[in-house]
Amino acid sequence: MGGPPYDCVANPLGAVRLTFEKAIGSGTQTHPSAFDGKDWGALDLFRHFLFQESGLSQVPILNPKTMRWVQPYTLVRYRGMIQDMLGNEIYVGAYKDGNLWRTNKFMDISQYPMGSSPDMCVWERRLLYCVPVPGQSSWTETSCEMDLNQGMDQSSQNRGKRRRMDDEDDPMDVVPDDEIKSSPTTKKMREDGFPSSSPESRDSKTGSSCTSMATFQYVDKDYLPCLVKIYDCPESELKLNDVVEFIGVLTFDSELALEKDDELSNSFYDDALVYLPPNKVPRLHCIIHRKLAVHDFLQGFPIMEPKPHLVKEIREALFRHLTVVLGNDGVAAHFMLLHLLSKVHARADDVAVGKLSLNLIGLSKESVSVFGTRLSQAVKNLLPFTHCIPLTLEYLNTASLAPKKDYQTNRLIPGVLQLPEGSHLMVDETQLESGTLNSNGIENTKLLKNLMEFQKVEYDFQYYKMEMAADVQLLIFSEGKSNIVPADVVIPFQPSSLGSSEIPVAEAVEAWRWYLATVRSLPHSIGSEMQKEVEDDLVAARQADRSLGSQDFNRWLTMARLVSTSFGETSLSMEHWQMVKELERLRMERLK
Amino acid sequence: MASNSSPVNFNNGPSSPDDSFSSPIPNTSSPAHRRRRGLRQTSTPSSAAATPPPNPSRFANSSSTPTPSRSTRRGRRPATSPTPTAAATPSSTDDFPPPSSDGGEDMEEATPTFVWGTNISVQDVKNAIQMFIKHFRETQELSNDIYGEGKYTRLIHRVLEIEGEWIDVDAQDVFSYDSDLYNKMVRYPLEVLAIFDIVLMDIVSLINPLFDKHVQVRIHNLKSATSMRNLNPSDIEKMVSLKGMVIRCSSIIPEIREAVFRCIVCGYHSDPVVVDRGRITEPTTCSKPDCLAKNSMTLVHNRCRFADKQIVRLQETPDEIPEGGTPHTVSLLMHDKLVDAGKPGDRVEVTGIYRAMSVRVGPTQRTVKSLFKTYIDCLHIKKTDKSRMMAEDPMEVDNGSQSQRIEDDVQLDEDKVEELKELSKQPDIYERLTRSLAPNIWELDDVKKGLLCQLFGGNALKLPSGASFRGDINILLVGDPGTSKSQLLQYIHKLSPRGIYTSGRGSSAVGLTAYVTKDPETGETVLESGALVLSDRGICCIDEFDKMSDNARSMLHEVMEQQTVSIAKAGIIASLNARTSVLACANPSGSRYNPRLSVIDNIHLPPTLLSRFDLIYLILDKADEQTDRRLAKHIVSLHFEDTEIAEQDVLDLATLTAYVSYARKNIHPKLSDEAAEELTRGYVEMRKRGNFPGSSKKVITATPRQIESLIRLSEALARIRFSEWVEMRDVAEAFRLLEVAMQQSATDHSTGTIDMDLITTGVSASERMRRENVLSATRNIIMEKVQLGGPSVRLLELLDELKKQSSGSEIHLHDLRNAVATLASEGFVVLHGDSVKRI
Repeated sequence: MGGPPYDCVANPLGAVRLTFEKAIGSGTQTHPSAFDGKDWGALDLFRHFLFQESGLSQVPILNPKTMRWVQPYTLVRYRGMIQDMLGNEIYVGAYKDGNLWRTNKFMDISQYPMGSSPDMCVWERRLLYCVPVPGQSSWTETSCEMDLNQGMDQSSQNRGKRRRMDDEDDPMDVVPDDEIKSSPTTKKMREDGFPSSSPESRDSKTGSSCTSMATFQYVDKDYLPCLVKIYDCPESELKLNDVVEFIGVLTFDSELALEKDDELSNSFYDDALVYLPPNKVPRLHCIIHRKLAVHDFLQGFPIMEPKPHLVKEIREALFRHLTVVLGNDGVAAHFMLLHLLSKVHARADDVAVGKLSLNLIGLSKESVSVFGTRLSQAVKNLLPFTHCIPLTLEYLNTASLAPKKDYQTNRLIPGVLQLPEGSHLMVDETQLESGTLNSNGIENTKLLKNLMEFQKVEYDFQYYKMEMAADVQLLIFSEGKSNIVPADVVIPFQPSSLGSSEIPVAEAVEAWRWYLATVRSLPHSIGSEMQKEVEDDLVAARQADRSLGSQDFNRWLTMARLVSTSFGETSLSMEHWQMVKELERLRMERLK
Repeated sequence: MASNSSPVNFNNGPSSPDDSFSSPIPNTSSPAHRRRRGLRQTSTPSSAAATPPPNPSRFANSSSTPTPSRSTRRGRRPATSPTPTAAATPSSTDDFPPPSSDGGEDMEEATPTFVWGTNISVQDVKNAIQMFIKHFRETQELSNDIYGEGKYTRLIHRVLEIEGEWIDVDAQDVFSYDSDLYNKMVRYPLEVLAIFDIVLMDIVSLINPLFDKHVQVRIHNLKSATSMRNLNPSDIEKMVSLKGMVIRCSSIIPEIREAVFRCIVCGYHSDPVVVDRGRITEPTTCSKPDCLAKNSMTLVHNRCRFADKQIVRLQETPDEIPEGGTPHTVSLLMHDKLVDAGKPGDRVEVTGIYRAMSVRVGPTQRTVKSLFKTYIDCLHIKKTDKSRMMAEDPMEVDNGSQSQRIEDDVQLDEDKVEELKELSKQPDIYERLTRSLAPNIWELDDVKKGLLCQLFGGNALKLPSGASFRGDINILLVGDPGTSKSQLLQYIHKLSPRGIYTSGRGSSAVGLTAYVTKDPETGETVLESGALVLSDRGICCIDEFDKMSDNARSMLHEVMEQQTVSIAKAGIIASLNARTSVLACANPSGSRYNPRLSVIDNIHLPPTLLSRFDLIYLILDKADEQTDRRLAKHIVSLHFEDTEIAEQDVLDLATLTAYVSYARKNIHPKLSDEAAEELTRGYVEMRKRGNFPGSSKKVITATPRQIESLIRLSEALARIRFSEWVEMRDVAEAFRLLEVAMQQSATDHSTGTIDMDLITTGVSASERMRRENVLSATRNIIMEKVQLGGPSVRLLELLDELKKQSSGSEIHLHDLRNAVATLASEGFVVLHGDSVKRI
């Protein structure tokens, strides 16, 4: 293009306005109401910039660190989980200012007084409250670190550019700046806030126009929620607990502390927003969003075809690693590998097909402190989202596992079990002692059990409960078989040696992460011949032992699927089926 | 009370006490505004009532709604109003003074008058409403009484008599009388309702000129209800109807409507000052000509007029929320009599006007946020039923207390009912329902049919004499582990109108029935209901029935037959209703069911309790390769075929629930004569089967309890078909169901016949006969071999002797022991350890 007339990163609103004017101007007859719920070409522009011109890496990721230097009204990225949906918001999408149509899309405050204009279009957008993904492993964030440096350069460059543009002809950005300056509250806040350190030093470093920094200085050190306003997106596309990357305009409006006037009017407005002051929760007007998979968190490791020999190699290495972590217990390591690969791939009635929760028994308080920590380290290192629950009596009685709706604030209060798909949850039952559970404790055990059995969590809406499907891998440590959370696979843990917990090479870990993410999502099928074989085996097994039920069969078939995918294969072979039976035999032997 | 636009005193000018009301909250609007605004925009020269109010600027805030489509329309069609005033524009900033003093007055001479921005003539609408009120008659009235008064004329009279303040108008009536008027009303509710009120007041003042209350119209029952999720900008300023659940009510806000000031210098009371744009301007000077003191006016609170206002939040009902979403909420603005009409937790249907108001960034800021806050100005609120199925379904035909039956709203709309009725007409509905019940559990068809009957239930009967017969069907499932008994229980629990799921091991007697506790704070004794009481008119599912303590089980006796729970504890003597069906399941005492033993021996339940179950099913895990193969196939396909095996012809849970609840509520089948005859005949036949000709053996194959069960079952079967009469085929099927259940549980394995004694006493007739034989044989041997007072004999010797004598049947030691014990109790012998001594 030879230098676009706008800068998508530094002045996205300029780009939006430009395309809007172009769309309106192209046909004089075009009425903006035609753009209700539609895009007028701005999205294409950004898509082109982000993905074709690989502008994505220039866009800073919003996190507590970047928050300190990111400018409002610039393009940012935010990665998080949709924790709550705050409903729709109706806004003036387009209005006539004199003879010109203006748009308010991707903005909170209109730049031009529009009160006198009778010509306006009212559109709506959705509000999503997003939080950082719970239990996110530290390795997923390394990319942000990289981006930070990159972004710094980029933004200081941009800043220069931006200023130039501002000076030229863009009143859009000037207005808010003025506003911030004129707003007494922000000024006051800045003075009251952190004495001097960061803003000042930064001011000197980055030059100028850092008034906005003060805006967000109350942000929690490592927890940054975000209020995303999303446009023209069908309701079914984004669901609660989805992990999504939003790319859009960061805005700041000085509504904070001003609407505190009286409680009456607040109760009448959307209560939720009152509790989300913009200095704690930044607003993001989303232009483009995409759901994130584990792959998006991987860096360095090239995305490649899962070739069988390659997969086998990595599998072998990972298996060795797990064996070492598990104190040379090969059988347990086998089950652990399958467990890490499991995911719910279908639901029939109440049965969640594909889950494989694992219960390691024979662990005491002492051995958990050794193997538990080692294992949780290893899992954290392998999977993007992990969580650990110490199942003590006190925890059960006091913790709030289920998300609960608070009607005072009109918000969904997050619970420990509000987890995105593919999370890993470790439950340490060895610390449980006998005692009395109160009603909250009973409720919590029921929740855990339901999550284990049906992969569903009941969200408490006070007047009723709502079941939400979940996909969480559960790993339980206990002394005997856990009755609170009855797992699919119960295996006595028999470590033979402590082994040295060597730290694996970074590249190897990368490969394992890639392997777990890729293999998990492989399709799988069964040949008709093999199917016959399996059915015969099942019938024969049941004829021999009447105590076998559908639960056992489900477990075998889940394992069969996981074993064969763990080798990177997409259809079940006899060899792998035999392996499953052998594993089950070894397990049964131990249980005796 | 917002009695403002009464035509009688409307024209009084600014001093009218009714004149203007505006909320203290900026930008909200009250019904008063609604009316007001309509008036203003629809000035009719002919009607004094519609003269524009003298202070137009106050409407600036009421008209904060953007009216988007209307403005676009204006672009295309020349507006009737030549000078659109600020009042009509979507602006709401206080910074903009209304540009023209009064647009409405300019066009007072113009005839006809139109609703602003539309081609709706005010006069036309007025006439249409008058016609509707005067001439609307309900369909059944039409035929017989053409010259009588219409529905709404009568309603007006009634309201006048009771001095009511509103008239409920069914929107369906409006639609059926004048669909054009209905459309206008829904599209332009503010304007049309204002005219409606004027017409109403005209009529009221004609009937009773002295009636001083203001009568409002309340529209309800719109033709189509909107889902909260689908409310969008195009609905703004339209009449909508929503269903939802009240989640929060604000406290009642007294909203000042007019204020009176007093001069502290001279004590002069000012004329009432009305609210202007949410504010009241305090007069700066006393208006008494001979005082004129400055800044001397103070507010006299008790002479001001206030109106009630309340803000209520409404949330979507759970069934409207799509997967992976959270419920939406919307604010409702309630006024006057609507305040406190709904409490948190109530399910309501609301009719109102969807409105929006713009938000300013702050009082000090000039910028207007581009946002609108939306709310619903509530016109009418109706409570709907709470539970999934009718919680208070009148399953019981109370002969005496019919009048008590609360006429609750029909939750199912007409279409749904039609659909259900259509469904019930299908010839295979019984089979289809059976298939739909727990579709993931196969086989067990007869068990499912029994459970289906339990869901539908029979008719309970209460005779005037006080005797009552339960209509609930109790079912016990006994079977091997892993035969999906618990899944069936869970499924029924999910489906049943109300019910409790408990496990026998974790239930205590008081936990099941009721218990008395001391309230920790007040020290009073309080009665707390247990599971059975809580599942009154529902199904109480008890898993692991066999593991229940005897104490707890004994409490069930009363519940299962009398359907009450009696308490006499700590000064509380009470009898609580527990009209619940019990669905229990039990595992055999050995891990497997032993077919050689009776049911009672297998599950260790007291026969008294067992006989209270209408149906007892044995679910045995037979080593059947065919079923195993099906299971294997099913599971393999579950895991490997991503496409779910769509089951044909299966009703979903919602339909099934609706079907059951509708049937339970509305269908009360009675026995037809021939069905009664068939029942009698069948019962006698069952009894007869026990009498083998030429045999002294008396086997009881049926007891009066069975005939009661049969009646209940056949009633339930008729209900399944939505039939008001129990027919022959229902009775036949009931017999079949009972027999299937009995065959499994009450078959005497040594003879192969049904023997109710097995259930009632745990011992079959043939077994009893055998015991008697052993007894007499033992007696004979002892008579022969053992001398009176002589040396004792060892039991084993006796056994050998017995075996010699009775060559035919097998005799075990424990049989002999039993026999000797009986003899000892007769005082015939004494038993010391292993030796028997005759006395």
